[in-house]
Amino acid sequence: MKARFVASLALVAALVAVSTAAARTDSPTRASASKITVWLQVDAQSGWPELVSSTNSAFQKAHPGVSVDVQYQTWPDHLGKFDATLAGGNVPDVIEMGNTEMTKYMAAGAFANLSPDKGSFANSRSWLQGLAASATYNGKLYGVPYYAGSRVVTYRTDLYKKIKAKAPKSLAQFTSIAKKLRARNGKKSFSPVYIAGTDWYFAMSFVYDYGGTIATFSHGKWHGALTSSKARAGLAAYKRFFNVASRASRTGTEDRPQPYDVFAQGGAASIVGPAWFSCCTGKKYKSVTNQFVMPGHRAGQSMPGFLGGSDLAVPAGANDKALAKDWIRIFTSTDGEKTLQAKGNIPNATNLLGNSVNERAAKRSWFVPTAKNWVNVENGNVLRTMLARILTGKDSIKEATSTASDNITLTLNRP
Amino acid sequence: MASSHVPSEAALAAEAAPRLRRRRPLTWSRVLRGSVPYWLILPVLATVGAILGYPLYSLVRLSFQRYGLFELIQHHGVWVGLSNFGSVLHDPVFWHTLVRTVIFTVANVGLTMVIGTLIALLLVQVSSVIRVLLTTGLVLVWAMPPVVAVQVWLWMTNYENGVVNYILTKLHVGDYMQHDWYASTFSMLSLVTALIVWGAIPFVVVTVYAGLSQVPGELVEAAEIDGARPFRVFKDVTVPILKPIFLILTSLSIIWDFGVFTQPFLLIGQSRIDTSNYVMGTYLYEQGYFFHDFGRGAAISILMLLMVALLSVVYVRKMVQFDEVR
Repeated sequence: MKARFVASLALVAALVAVSTAAARTDSPTRASASKITVWLQVDAQSGWPELVSSTNSAFQKAHPGVSVDVQYQTWPDHLGKFDATLAGGNVPDVIEMGNTEMTKYMAAGAFANLSPDKGSFANSRSWLQGLAASATYNGKLYGVPYYAGSRVVTYRTDLYKKIKAKAPKSLAQFTSIAKKLRARNGKKSFSPVYIAGTDWYFAMSFVYDYGGTIATFSHGKWHGALTSSKARAGLAAYKRFFNVASRASRTGTEDRPQPYDVFAQGGAASIVGPAWFSCCTGKKYKSVTNQFVMPGHRAGQSMPGFLGGSDLAVPAGANDKALAKDWIRIFTSTDGEKTLQAKGNIPNATNLLGNSVNERAAKRSWFVPTAKNWVNVENGNVLRTMLARILTGKDSIKEATSTASDNITLTLNRP
Repeated sequence: MASSHVPSEAALAAEAAPRLRRRRPLTWSRVLRGSVPYWLILPVLATVGAILGYPLYSLVRLSFQRYGLFELIQHHGVWVGLSNFGSVLHDPVFWHTLVRTVIFTVANVGLTMVIGTLIALLLVQVSSVIRVLLTTGLVLVWAMPPVVAVQVWLWMTNYENGVVNYILTKLHVGDYMQHDWYASTFSMLSLVTALIVWGAIPFVVVTVYAGLSQVPGELVEAAEIDGARPFRVFKDVTVPILKPIFLILTSLSIIWDFGVFTQPFLLIGQSRIDTSNYVMGTYLYEQGYFFHDFGRGAAISILMLLMVALLSVVYVRKMVQFDEVR
């Protein structure tokens, strides 16, 4: 009896907790002039909480009586939540957006035009081209670059030492290193370079390295461009490299499992991905973890990497846009960006760039087509499907690129 | 059903009373008194109207509008008549998805019903200790939230070090180390089917088992004395008595499996879902939310609603027929 009572009490408590938690996340309190709501990704919460709190205190010093409610979001579901606030009319005052997510929302008029204020943001003259472009639509600025990140190779120095290899200077060198690593390790599941089959960020780097591109814009229309001979050459090189280097699933994605988990379990000599992967290579291999810039097919030249990053935007329906802009100004000040840099990120302006592997990799980079429907190509997994079909041999490169390219043309030109 | 005589007599009496009274002149107090039952059900009607009627109305209205991200921000859709329905019905992806979903539903419901019934029959035969253990196991399966179950499934079928791969290899079924369970649509949807059937069996077992206890022992005995073998007894004695239960379970399973979303969406994963592995639930979600085409999404869900409603009509009619027969 007593156990039942305790159990039911616990159940009631749990229900209450769940319902209040749901109430809290589902209906963010409407910001008034005495409060601004800021949506940042959890990366800020785990990576640089001190920057957030110092920004808040500096902001509150400038605006006494105004509180800041920072709500941390996660990448997979923040857009769905943002859509819900757009429908409900209780949008946050500041929102962090991934650079590939910006265009669709800018085109739909979700954000306030920041062009008149551009000069008031720190280092705005030397913002990273890729990031500033992702926040610009029809010549108007709708977001402030926050930080960027490039993709590099994280590797185990002990294994490379055993075959007397150094950081490779060309794709051919890297391929022969992979072959040697493979020969020394008989385990079937061991990957000299772990690459998830449908990691399109990495695969498209080959396309750009060989001079190809995903889509071009001309005569007011988008054209899928993966059928070009250069793009196909890049994909052929990707397939060759994958077959030599990776034992990962040909249809797998780069988040399941996380490449650094495979690395930490001893399943890979190298992994490709964001520079912060070095965080999580495991206790056992921490001391033998190092990174280099992915080499391209021309010796001495790096392979263009995908430049990921975030922008900060002010929703058009925000309560107090002036306060929101002020918060962003403080957060992306030179000091703020230097803090981000110290955490291993790429700061938002060229004059702040250092010489870390992350920053060196950013010098040759590519970015997705800035079409308002691009995110539909991403969400529709057009490129992932293409890569899976190429790697599993279900389609030839010619067939797979034709299908994907037609699909891209169709999707990007939809009204 | 035996108790139905009592309320029906009362109802008759209640019906007779106003008929006598109607001859007397109507007064306000009498009208008020007569309308009491309607006032009493009004809160229920209002609540149902608010929580079902209004959303349904919004959904229908949305399906006739162009409603994308732009319209979402403006809080104002553009009336486009039937064009959302036209674009869905002319989309080959819709038809492929529909056929795939029908096959998927038939497989899921069939497997759930057959395996569930077999386990229920087994429960009758085993000792009470085993029965308690089995039932506990089934209830635990039932209690597991789908999201957790999906994680367990993903872990077991993991490409790198999945338990299933390991066991199959150790049992010399073949070399399943690094077998990619998610490489083809068939294999992917088979996994989803396994997960759904696994999660749905307990409900079927418990219900059929409860139904089996209603089968009169004399009938079974009499059939056995007449020389019927177990299968014959099951076919000619048990099944006819359990028919209403089978019908209810099958209909509910069809409705659930036809629109299932959680398991396919999470198990296949957003980054693998594409036109080649859509089922209706994931198709609707991708079109509506991921592509920000809420009008088209609404049109698809109305079409789904109509299909399920059609099935429900068949089901309700059958149920009514059963009641009349009894």
